[in-house]
Amino acid sequence: MVIHYLKRAYSSFAAHVFDIPPRLLALLLFMLLIFLPITKPDDYIQRMFRDIFFFATLAASWDLLVGRTGQISLGHALFFGIGAYGTALLYKYFGFPPWVTIPIAVLIGVSISPLIGSPCLRAKGPYLALVTMVLPLILNTLFKYSPLLPITGGERGIGPLPPLIPVEFFRTIGFSGRKAYPMVDLANYYLGLVLLCASSIILYKIANSKTGMVFVSILDDDLASKACGINVTRYKLIAFAISSLFAALTGATYAHVITIVNPSGFLDITLSFLPVILTFLGGIGTLYGPLVGAHIYFIIHRYVLQTTHIPYLTGTQWTFTRDLIFAAVVIILIIKWPRGIARFVTDKLQDLEEARDLDERGKWIWKKYKKEKTK
Amino acid sequence: MIESILIDGAIAGGIYSLLALGFTLIYGVSGVINLAHSGFFMIGALLFATSGAFLLPVLEPLGVIPTFILILALILAAISVATIGGIVYKLIISPIIGDDVAIMVVTVSLALIFQQIMLLALDAAKLTYIPVAPFIRGATWGVRNESLLAFGVSVTLFISLWIFITKSKIGGAMRAVSQDREVAMLMGINTERLYMLTMGISAAFATVAGVFYASSVLVGQAPPHMWLQPLFSSFAIVILGGLGSIKGTLIGGFIIAYTETLVAYLIPQGGQIVPAVSLVIIMLIILIRPKGLFGKRIEME
Amino acid sequence: MHLLEVENLTKRFGGLTAVNNVSFHADEGEIVGIIGPNGAGKTTLFNLISGFLKPTSGTVKFKGEIITGLAPHKIVNRGIARTFQVVRPFRHLPVIANVMVSMKSPRGARKIEWLKTIERKALDLLEDVGISELMLEPAENVGHGDLKRLEMARALATEPDLLMLDEPFGGLNPLETDYLIKSILRMHLDEPSRGIVIVEHKLYALMKIVQRVIVLHQGEKIAEGKPEEIAKNERVIEVYMGREM
Repeated sequence: MVIHYLKRAYSSFAAHVFDIPPRLLALLLFMLLIFLPITKPDDYIQRMFRDIFFFATLAASWDLLVGRTGQISLGHALFFGIGAYGTALLYKYFGFPPWVTIPIAVLIGVSISPLIGSPCLRAKGPYLALVTMVLPLILNTLFKYSPLLPITGGERGIGPLPPLIPVEFFRTIGFSGRKAYPMVDLANYYLGLVLLCASSIILYKIANSKTGMVFVSILDDDLASKACGINVTRYKLIAFAISSLFAALTGATYAHVITIVNPSGFLDITLSFLPVILTFLGGIGTLYGPLVGAHIYFIIHRYVLQTTHIPYLTGTQWTFTRDLIFAAVVIILIIKWPRGIARFVTDKLQDLEEARDLDERGKWIWKKYKKEKTK
Repeated sequence: MIESILIDGAIAGGIYSLLALGFTLIYGVSGVINLAHSGFFMIGALLFATSGAFLLPVLEPLGVIPTFILILALILAAISVATIGGIVYKLIISPIIGDDVAIMVVTVSLALIFQQIMLLALDAAKLTYIPVAPFIRGATWGVRNESLLAFGVSVTLFISLWIFITKSKIGGAMRAVSQDREVAMLMGINTERLYMLTMGISAAFATVAGVFYASSVLVGQAPPHMWLQPLFSSFAIVILGGLGSIKGTLIGGFIIAYTETLVAYLIPQGGQIVPAVSLVIIMLIILIRPKGLFGKRIEME
Repeated sequence: MHLLEVENLTKRFGGLTAVNNVSFHADEGEIVGIIGPNGAGKTTLFNLISGFLKPTSGTVKFKGEIITGLAPHKIVNRGIARTFQVVRPFRHLPVIANVMVSMKSPRGARKIEWLKTIERKALDLLEDVGISELMLEPAENVGHGDLKRLEMARALATEPDLLMLDEPFGGLNPLETDYLIKSILRMHLDEPSRGIVIVEHKLYALMKIVQRVIVLHQGEKIAEGKPEEIAKNERVIEVYMGREM
């Protein structure tokens, strides 16, 4: 009896609270994040959020390709790395400032995408997945060792790279001496937020355009799509290009945030895997999924896990175990919620809403029936 | 030098074919792309070394020839990994079968778990690689007997699988399911159990390949990243030979192995470029003839 | 010149010949039916004409031009639309988006206005087939009969000169069947120059609509003529009934 009332109470609560349009929620979150640095949080936390912004963008670009168009890419690190190495090499050999090297690096990344995409997306089969999985790993090896070593700096990588907004700028506006440095970090935080918002808006617009509809039609049934006159291969290439654009942009920008570009930071398999986890944690195929997932992942990974320790395990042992637990958790999550956690939650809320509607209608019908009976 | 190329290529060919065979088998029968396949390869080598380490000191003093002890260890390792494979299928893959994205994510996670296990094991033993004892010590005709054994076993297993698939009832079921799953189910074939079995066989083959890879190609060392390079090569083999074709895997395996050996020997610093070789071959095939040499014909969908 | 001209079309799958030397034509404004027992090759024929399969030999000409071997979307753009035997809706898209996806974007039009125009046109089409009240419903929630109508609307959205329907009456109850017969006839009146080719099993429904019938059996054309003639054709009856008259 009590359970029944609790359920009723919850569903009416949910109806009121969660009826808030998602755009309003997004705006609220955005406001929160803008004002966060004013609360003077730990450096560590600020940097955690900064990373959330960048990797959420990376995950969102992956989700467009995989969740919305259905083309499985397992090597998003590739474009992330190309963007990063592109801007680094341009700086190393030409000395251009970031606002020149970044767009060029992005252009390079986008030009490469049809080279990989065209053969893989045209052929029927799991080719894109296999090729994209292998490519960044191969580049990783190639960059680390031999012939390209003098160019790419091997494992040590290329650096230091100039930050996006140089220290001198802050000095000229009044932050003297050492006080300028934290401002650079702050600038990185906000630039990351800007990147996330701008790319989210653009991806949102794409998703709600005819192109976005075509993407979903390809995801659902690419054969029927062809029967509707859609050049499926061309749209797959477009999705791949947009996705690689944002990935390269994120990579190039992030390179200037952490000021050093090396294989383990930008071409590692864990980086290919990261957008996948983030998207799955949040909800694949949605727009908010990668964002939510990024928050969940980083807060748990950086904050919760860093501050807890299991006794008996030494440093490296704990790192290995932690990664192992993480991979295991991902497996469990996907089996239980194949469409992502946030998706599961929103689906449940929708069910509750429908149930509530039915409930209301049921009650109304019952009342009418009773009235008729007593006449 | 030509002799070395021929021999190295042949050995690698046998091993790679065996590894790729497991991968293409599970794909052909159930449509699952098991990205953790070469992870089984690595764990197999680990389990072999561990059981060898336990059994040798116990059985050798009793007068049992080391070779047989190690063969026993190999069989144990293969059975364990096959069981793990079956369990993995049942618990992890079966719930999400059909959802290709989820399966790939899950298998990649699994591969990472295997890598972490390997790293933890190495950390505990304070080693940088797992030593894998050779079956046969000494050399014949300038070639380590070990390598000959590897080649011989690979080819034997290959032929056994071929016979199994073409002649036995279960093999027939596998072929049926790989052609049309729904009809096969209508005919009463229990796909769940079949997939589990296929996974087990696939994992067992990977184990044998892994053990021989470590003992022959890597000269007795099993480092924690040993699963990467063979992964690239198996992808290339499977795409070249045609996904789902056993013949193709055998032929493709030797072609890739020889290409890699030639590159390693003839091009300066070739050893480093070898991963790129797999990639180039993959791209070429996708461009020219995506279904590979003997792949299943996928026309409309 | 015939609207659609199929000449000596053959398709072999390894040892199996699914379509064997089939030739027929369809003219502007004609409604042609293709019938035959299961396995006669009707759907394969459709797939060959619409570009989903490449023929082993033979040609397909549309409006005088050879279209054999073209990619499916190109054939659609030339003016041939087809529906599928088993409905293939875009599950995640709402019903109206299913139709909008088929519509060509006008060149250089501004996006917002375009979207509104397309929406209106799509809604009109949905009304024509009778499912306009489902416009925002995700296709995965829609019932079979309505999905069949959606399939039709989606094909019509490409503004075809030749409409190919693959078993449009499959799975429909008598009421829906009746409605569909009337819809097709009305469509024909609205667009007199459009050709329609229908593959169908429900002969009583089909014979009411078509002007000419082609009969396939085991990949070959065995008869062609007016519905009344075909109904009396001995060979056709034998092939369907499996006995001799």
